[in-house]
Amino acid sequence: MKRSAGFLVLIVVGISMMLWAGWHNLRERRLAMQQAEANHVVLTPAKPGDSTQSGGGEDDTPKLRGKAAPGFTLLTLDGKKVSLADYKGHAVLVNFWATWCAPCKIEMPWFEELRVKYAGQGFEILGLVDDADAGKDEIAKVAKKTGVTYPLLLTDGKVQKAYGGLEYLPMSFYVDKNGVVVEETAGLGSKDEIEANIKKTIASGGGASAVGAGQARAGGR
Amino acid sequence: MKRLGLGLLVGCGVATLAAGAQQIGSLDAPPVKSKQFVQYAAEEQTLHAGKPDVLELHFQVLDGFHVNSHTPNSDLLIATRMELQPAAGVKPGAVEYPAGHPYSFSSNTKEMLDVYSGGFTVRLLVTAVAGEHEVDGTLRYQACDHAACYPPKALPVHVLFTAK
Repeated sequence: MKRSAGFLVLIVVGISMMLWAGWHNLRERRLAMQQAEANHVVLTPAKPGDSTQSGGGEDDTPKLRGKAAPGFTLLTLDGKKVSLADYKGHAVLVNFWATWCAPCKIEMPWFEELRVKYAGQGFEILGLVDDADAGKDEIAKVAKKTGVTYPLLLTDGKVQKAYGGLEYLPMSFYVDKNGVVVEETAGLGSKDEIEANIKKTIASGGGASAVGAGQARAGGR
Repeated sequence: MKRLGLGLLVGCGVATLAAGAQQIGSLDAPPVKSKQFVQYAAEEQTLHAGKPDVLELHFQVLDGFHVNSHTPNSDLLIATRMELQPAAGVKPGAVEYPAGHPYSFSSNTKEMLDVYSGGFTVRLLVTAVAGEHEVDGTLRYQACDHAACYPPKALPVHVLFTAK
């Protein structure tokens, strides 16, 4: 009787261990599956590429419009220092772009064309390269392909933060002669929209002077 | 005594089941959110052991977005690519990417990009020894919508399969 009881206990323990091992294995597998499935979860990006104005982030309101444009001093591809302050008295388009950003490269030739068109009214463009991994050669290659001759500046991480974090590109800030952001746009707009913003920026603050134009051009890439 | 044994058996079984149920129940906690534009549809797969076979990884691009294909038509754009980490008992082979489809941001440009949108499947050729396997990898991609582009992303991928 004792022997059969012991045998029964052994069977019970054995079956229990097998059950436990099965559940443990299932649990581990399900844990791993859950980990894999965790990548399914996505957040809807902040107002992506809506060509209406956006300051980036989940708040769609432009963050810098009507405020003083954050100042910066950055280097061109050939190592020259360029500051936004150098362009005081000018209407300036501060455009953030990257080599991997296809829509950025669509608007760059438009910028170049409009820069020439409005240069006489003191308009200038600064292209800020928001591209940590791009080498100077790659940047120069894009400049050549898009026909850009305005200054291209290498960013330092701080300037992106100062301009609102820049979750996506292109981002453009239209700064009037008084250093105030007249308009900011996110994503690829039409050439007409860009030109309208340039005109608005030139007109803001009572027109632009030609002071420092030569100095500004000297800071080219 | 027989009753005692039967009671023990049932008791242990119920206890084990209860413990298991509790553990599985805890797995229902909400997963950690991460900002991605591509989802990986994790699913267990069964492959032939000891000879080359194909693991299919199914991805879904968030509605309204696209990512560059593996051959994006420009060396300046970031191609979608899959990176695998070494795993015991699994010998990786070639990675096969699907063909993309043409895409243009603007009617004013002649440049056509090659992109993935909606669902796409990456096929991994692997040779695995018999048993259960877990392979970690990373899908590298760069997403855009109709007018803007987002910085390059890395999506962790955890692949589970059984080789028989």
